[in-house]
Amino acid sequence: MSTRAQTVLTGRGVGKVFGADELAVRALHPADIEVRRGEVLVIMGPSGSGKTTLLSILGLLLRPSEGEVLLHGETLAAADEESLTRLRRDNIGFVFQHMSLLSSLSALENVAMPLLMKGVGSKRRADLAREMLAAVGLAGKEQAKPRQLSGGQQQRVAIARALVTGAAVLLCDEPTASLDAASGRNVLALLRQSATQMGRAVVIVTHDERVREFGDRMVEVADGVAGPVRCSREEGESHDDRVA
Amino acid sequence: MVGVAARMLIDEPAKSVGTLIGVVVSVFLMMQQMSLLTGIQGRVTSFADLNDVDVWVASAATESIDATGSLPERCVSQAAGTRGVAWAAPVIQGRGDVTRIDGVKEQVRVFGVEPPRYAGLPHALAPGSSPALLRAPGRVFLNSRDRASFGSLEPGDRIEISGQVAIVAGFLEGMDPHSPYYYMFANIDDARAYASFPPDRVTFVAVGVAPGESPEAVRDRLQERMPEVMVFTRRQLHDMELRYFQNRTPVGVVFGMGTVLAALIGAGIVGVTLYSSVMDRLREFGTLKAIGASRSHLLRLLGAQAVLLSAAGYPLGLLAFALVRHLSGPSVSMPAPPWLLSSVAAATLLVCGAASAVAIRRVLRVEPAIVFRG
Repeated sequence: MSTRAQTVLTGRGVGKVFGADELAVRALHPADIEVRRGEVLVIMGPSGSGKTTLLSILGLLLRPSEGEVLLHGETLAAADEESLTRLRRDNIGFVFQHMSLLSSLSALENVAMPLLMKGVGSKRRADLAREMLAAVGLAGKEQAKPRQLSGGQQQRVAIARALVTGAAVLLCDEPTASLDAASGRNVLALLRQSATQMGRAVVIVTHDERVREFGDRMVEVADGVAGPVRCSREEGESHDDRVA
Repeated sequence: MVGVAARMLIDEPAKSVGTLIGVVVSVFLMMQQMSLLTGIQGRVTSFADLNDVDVWVASAATESIDATGSLPERCVSQAAGTRGVAWAAPVIQGRGDVTRIDGVKEQVRVFGVEPPRYAGLPHALAPGSSPALLRAPGRVFLNSRDRASFGSLEPGDRIEISGQVAIVAGFLEGMDPHSPYYYMFANIDDARAYASFPPDRVTFVAVGVAPGESPEAVRDRLQERMPEVMVFTRRQLHDMELRYFQNRTPVGVVFGMGTVLAALIGAGIVGVTLYSSVMDRLREFGTLKAIGASRSHLLRLLGAQAVLLSAAGYPLGLLAFALVRHLSGPSVSMPAPPWLLSSVAAATLLVCGAASAVAIRRVLRVEPAIVFRG
């Protein structure tokens, strides 16, 4: 499979300016970035560097001020809000730093939520959600409410929710930030497994140095400038990225 | 989405109970206001509604059965001779004084009806109260729901009307109490005496139309034949009574405003609590948007909450209304006809829907990228 064929999500010259005229603040300078199937891309940088802005753009949550995002090679520049919502629902799973589970719902219902929005029937929804919870090691916790779960368990529920629809891309914002070291390692292992065993493209945004070793490729963002960094797991030039 | 909406409501019991109380208070007040108004209007139109007379002829100055002039008695034969008329009968209506059990004299509307047809006598009579009982002199029918005012009168008891003694021969059913005066029916000769009504005049001519004739067509013919009088159908009499009441009293406006206020109170309470609940869950709604909830999903979610609150609050509000109605006793007429129940149900839904509009607007404006903020 060629590198081009493996690319799921592409940011081509994407940049972001908030505000206008003299109040304009550039959060991200134009950058090229590719997200490929079966690999973990780590985006690192300090707080306020623009990495979350980059993730929001890649997650179709924020429109870039310049450049364009391509999903499976198709440009999304002209897509309206409803189309972007549908594309997110069908192609992108999110894992947030602040778990963001729905507090009223059980773990099973939280995982089933994206399936509900896709119109999957209730029995099938429950079966898939149960399977996914088992896959992240939470069998038996189906009926637990988020407040009854530890931080690591909540994050695993969030990962199960992100994976359950079969989304090609998993975008994770600081997934280990609120977790202790052991829980953090478990979550990262799970994300690694999503990439290597399930063939998902996993993007992790973090400033946690522990995550560095889990990435296949790494992009560093500083002062709104994103650039590639060679990391230990990269395998020669063929796997090199063209991040500018 | 209904299940998710229900879970969200259950998960915040304090807020949900507060919202529910708002709905219950609103339903109760809307029911109470509209029911009292309906009861009052029912009293006002009960004479028209409880009669089988198809067409009425009255003085041209008639504004209501309580504000009317009189007609020469020849109008009865004129009406009877009109094509399409099966029968015509005189009815008189005048004022008398009746002495209540506590000795207080109160005004009474005395209706005089002519045997053997007794046209103008409401059709619903208490068991044992045959119209023929009015044939004997000095006999009257009272409204059964006014009995308490006269010390639980029984047939055969005596009553004083305009200084004359009459015997209670029977009772009318279905007429609301004190509507708005005490109503009393007697044969036409006795009624003339009780109300000092001139012998050659009548108040109304009650007309029955022949089979196959429409009341409207007969009305038009009668009007053409007797241009100096006013002719109206039973339905028109009902409307006229209602219009007279609405124009002459502020009751409709007062109760209408009360109902609107009740709806606004409900909308206010529901709106504030729903909005507060949404603000508490802004991040969760942001998450839903981020993971692919469309506008339609969010509308369905919050719409379902509004429907659930209506569905829970409506029966509780009705229960509160039924309790108050029971405690008020039969002297306060608070009917709850099906149209009122369904109107208040629809209004409740509308109130909850409108109240959730602000919360919906807020949720639709949530940036999904909010989930990335600390």
